[in-house]
Formats: sequence, structure tokens, C-alpha cells
Amino acid sequence: MAGLNRREFLTGSAAGLALAGCSRGRARRPPAQRERLVSIVRQPDYSQDLYGELRRVLAEHRLNVRGKRVLLKPNLVEFEPDSPINTHPLLVHAALEAFRELGAEVSIGEGPGHRRNTLDMAEAAGYFATIPRFEESFTDLNLDQVTEVRLARPHSRLQSIYLSQRAVSCDLLVSMPKMKTHHWVGATLSMKNLFGTVSGGVYGWPKNILHCAGIPGCIADLYHALPRHFAIVDGIVGMEGNGPIQGTPKRSGVVVAGRDLAAVDVSCCEIMSIDPRRIEYLKLAVGDVEALARSIRQIGERVESVRTRFALLPEWSGIRLS
Amino acid sequence: MVSLLESQNPDGGWPYQRGGPSWTEPTAYALLALVAQGSAAEPVEKGLRWLHDAQLPDGGWPPQPAVRQSTWVTAIAALLGPAALGGDAYRRGIVWIVEQTGEETKFLSRVRQFLTGNPQGDPGWPWLPGTSAWVTPTALSMLALRKAARGAGSPPILARLEMGAAYLLAHACSDGGWNHGAARALDYDARSYPETTGVALLALSGKESPRIRKACAWAQAQLRRCRASEAESWLRLGLLAHGQLPPNTPSPGRPPRTIQNAALALLASTAVAGRNAFLE
Repeated sequence: MAGLNRREFLTGSAAGLALAGCSRGRARRPPAQRERLVSIVRQPDYSQDLYGELRRVLAEHRLNVRGKRVLLKPNLVEFEPDSPINTHPLLVHAALEAFRELGAEVSIGEGPGHRRNTLDMAEAAGYFATIPRFEESFTDLNLDQVTEVRLARPHSRLQSIYLSQRAVSCDLLVSMPKMKTHHWVGATLSMKNLFGTVSGGVYGWPKNILHCAGIPGCIADLYHALPRHFAIVDGIVGMEGNGPIQGTPKRSGVVVAGRDLAAVDVSCCEIMSIDPRRIEYLKLAVGDVEALARSIRQIGERVESVRTRFALLPEWSGIRLS
Repeated sequence: MVSLLESQNPDGGWPYQRGGPSWTEPTAYALLALVAQGSAAEPVEKGLRWLHDAQLPDGGWPPQPAVRQSTWVTAIAALLGPAALGGDAYRRGIVWIVEQTGEETKFLSRVRQFLTGNPQGDPGWPWLPGTSAWVTPTALSMLALRKAARGAGSPPILARLEMGAAYLLAHACSDGGWNHGAARALDYDARSYPETTGVALLALSGKESPRIRKACAWAQAQLRRCRASEAESWLRLGLLAHGQLPPNTPSPGRPPRTIQNAALALLASTAVAGRNAFLE
């Protein structure tokens, strides 16, 4: 399908399905009084400081992962090491070391949406050079054994979905996306990054079933289907404009982390000068995004002190934080 | 080839990664490669038995037995032909392939396209039923149907082959090659990928057009700076199909990191040596 036609087809499908999804699944409101901690760390560059900072962040969140299986899930998209498409390998290595120091059994996994050559992409992105014995700790989630997960109250058209068994069975899934704008959903952050747990071996490249079933609804479904999660967002150099692939680098100099992916994504949107209340998948996943935003307690930097205006495509001007 | 034989699972199938569960895609590619090499009969027979058992009642193949849904991997299995699969299993597989089209070419989508003034072109093939058509499943389905057409070229098969070629030509990227199938996104040109360019060129074997010549030039440039074994293999196969593989092309330099990539590398080498399992 040509770009314009495909866009119209998918946009039409997504809108219709999102509406249909609303009638099927009820958005789950977060408990009103539950406080959600989100760490915002000012980190100007990819330096050795990251190792200490991530240790400190994990301590702030009091994660008990001793003896637990932790899966780090970065965002690998393309073979372009000089472009801010992929999660930086130094951040992933710093997370690996920090979780290992807490006694966790840590592995890394990713299942890219467009390109099949995951390990080759990881090599091009610098993962082999940065992370010792990378190949031994890595699983291509697209080619992993699959588990069919029934969706209890789906927001998309899907009733069930085949996910990587490793992603489903780990004790803690750590979503490590790049902070980027996204031409289909506005912003791609820790929740959208969960698309990489969906089996490419089953659904293909791209995982078009997620488009046909409604992208926002599928993001919300995955958020609920994979509840044992944590997020560490690479916002040191993100991407603005025509993300997630062809945008331009945007230096915001932050790492954002927390136990609740939705709360982390709300904070990231605010940092990017995007109104999280206008991000469809956040609305579907949590219902009252404003209430969720009020429940967030930020540790470290305040959003206002690190806010960086990410350029948006004209089609997405409506999500700008006013 | 030794590596392929050693990585066969006890159940007869092949995994993507050694020691993993058997999947249809690596199994079919491994069998194609072993058959093309005239390899030992026993592993091939075991593999074919695995494939036979995996076929679903609708005639298609699932990506792996745990998934009860026929998908694009049916085309790769069908490339093995009736002699390997058995006449009935093969015929049912071909019928399944012929019946698949992208969701965008279904009636309701056509109506919407008519109303919005965005008519879609010819139908390609989706990764799985109920979704849109994309380059790789279209190219693989065309390769399977080309083989079937040589045996008994029925009008529906020949018609689908022409539609598939039209789909591919309509979905080339502006830089000359193909990506997954979205040449433009939100009015921006998207970039081509080497692996999809290679498989599309292979599927368009025998066709001539300025667009194909441009794709060959793009593929030749990519082959020199390839960073993945799969891409290298498909580019070699695609260029070879159009007589455009430069004669002094060095041997593949990237290590195959999955079983299906090892099989593809072997299939590409065998094709360069004169026996193209995709086109024979």
C-alpha cells in the first residue's frame, strides 16, 4: 500500500478500532491516592556517569530483584549508529550492571518491527562493542518461543496475542525506549516500546496486526498484559519531528525512570512539551490521564527544569502542551 | 551445510537459533538448501515429515505448531514443490496462497478507497490473513506460484503473479529499492532496505522495466556495504536473477546469525554456482 493510502487506511482503521476498543474495554483508572514515583535525572551525555546514576535511580525505587529474572528491552530500529534511533548501548550496559549489582539475573531482548536482522542491528548500534559477551545475554524476541496471552478486557480488536515467552515469563520487564516523536501515535516511549515483545516470527515485519487492530488500543493492551514492568527512558539525545525513524536528533539531556510505564510516559510527554492527555494510548490505558499525572511524585529534576520542546509534524500539532 | 545438519532438532524441524523450538520458516529454508545441495536423505526426510505434520487443515502452514494460524510461511514451504511435500499437501498449500490478499483490497476497504478517492492497486500478499499486503510475503508468494505455474499454469495463478508484480512495482521506494512496503509515510519518502530489495528483485525475475534497472543499481551499491548476512544473500539472489550480480563480487562476508540465514547463505551460494532453488 502506498504511503498516503496506507496512512489513510491505517488512520481510518485506527480511529474506528480505537472507538470500538473503548466500547469493549474499560479504561482502568489508577487508584486515586497511589503515589507514582518517577525519577528524572539530568544527564547531558553518554558518559561513565550513567553507571552511578542508574544505581542511584534503582535505589530510589527500592526494587527487590535479588534472584529475579530481569529482561532489559531496549529499542532497536535501524542500522544507523550515528542517528538517535536506537537506545544507546551505554545506557543499556549501565542498567545491566546496576541490576546485576542488586543480585538480578539480567538478560537483554528486543524484537524490532521492521528489520529482521536484530543481532546485526545491535552490532551496528554498538551493543557488541559496549556490552561484554552481548550475544550470550541477548534474545531476539521476534524469534523466541511464543506464549499466547489472552487479553482480559482488550482495548484493541485483539482477543489474544502471541508474545515472546521470555518477555512474558520474566520477573521484571524493563522497557528502555528512546524518547521520540512518532508519526502514528504522537510519541513513542516506554509503553509503545512493548511492541517489541510481540512475535515477529508469528506476525511478520512489520507487525501489521497491531496496526489493523488499532495501535493505541494495542499499546494499552500490552501495558496491561505485561504488568511486572519498569521503565528507563533514554532522553539524553532523543528524536523530534518525523520520528521514530526519520526525525532529527533532539538533545534533552535526561533519563526518566519509574515503576509505572504510564506514569513515566506522562512525565516524558511533559518534558517533550506534549500534552499527555491527548495521547490516545495513555487515555485508553489509564482512563483519567490528568488524575494519573497528579499522582506522580517526581524525584530529582522537576519537569519544568528539563522541559525541551520537541518539534512535531504538522499532523500532530494538536498534541502540543499549551 | 554441516552446521545446518547439526542444528536440526530431534523432532525433525529446525529452530531459528540452535537449541530452540522448531519453526516452519527455518525448517523450510534448511530443507530447500539441503535439497539444492543434494544432501543426505535422512535429515531431509525427517524435516519433510515435520513439515507434513505441521500443515493445517486449511492447506496453509503455521509459523510453528503452537500457533494455529496459517501465515506467509506457507509460501516458503510450497517452494519445496510437490515431489518433496506430496502432491495433495502441495496443491492445498498453493490454493491457500492463491486465496490470500491484503486486507486493503477487500470489498469494504475498496469502497472506502473509492469514497476517499484513494484507489488501491493490485493485491499483494499479507503476512497473515486479515492484515495488509507487504513486500516480503508478496515476493515469497510469487516465487512459490512461479514454481507452481511451471507445473500447471492455471489462469488464477498467472493472474495473481501479474498482480503481485504490479504490487511490487507500485511499492518501490523513491531511492530505487524496496522496504517492508511503505514507500511513503505521512507524505515523507521512506528508505529502502537491502534484504527486501533483494527478495523483490528475485520475485520479479524475468521482468524488465526502468524501475527494475534502478533497483538493480541500488542493490549493487548496497551489496558493497552490506551489514547483515540475510541482506547479502537476498541481494545476491536478486541481482543474479536479473544477470546483474557483478562478476567479481566477493564471497559473503557477514556471519549468519540464525539458522534461516545460514540456509539462505547456502541457497545464495548454490545459486551463484548455477542452481537456483527459488527459480528452478
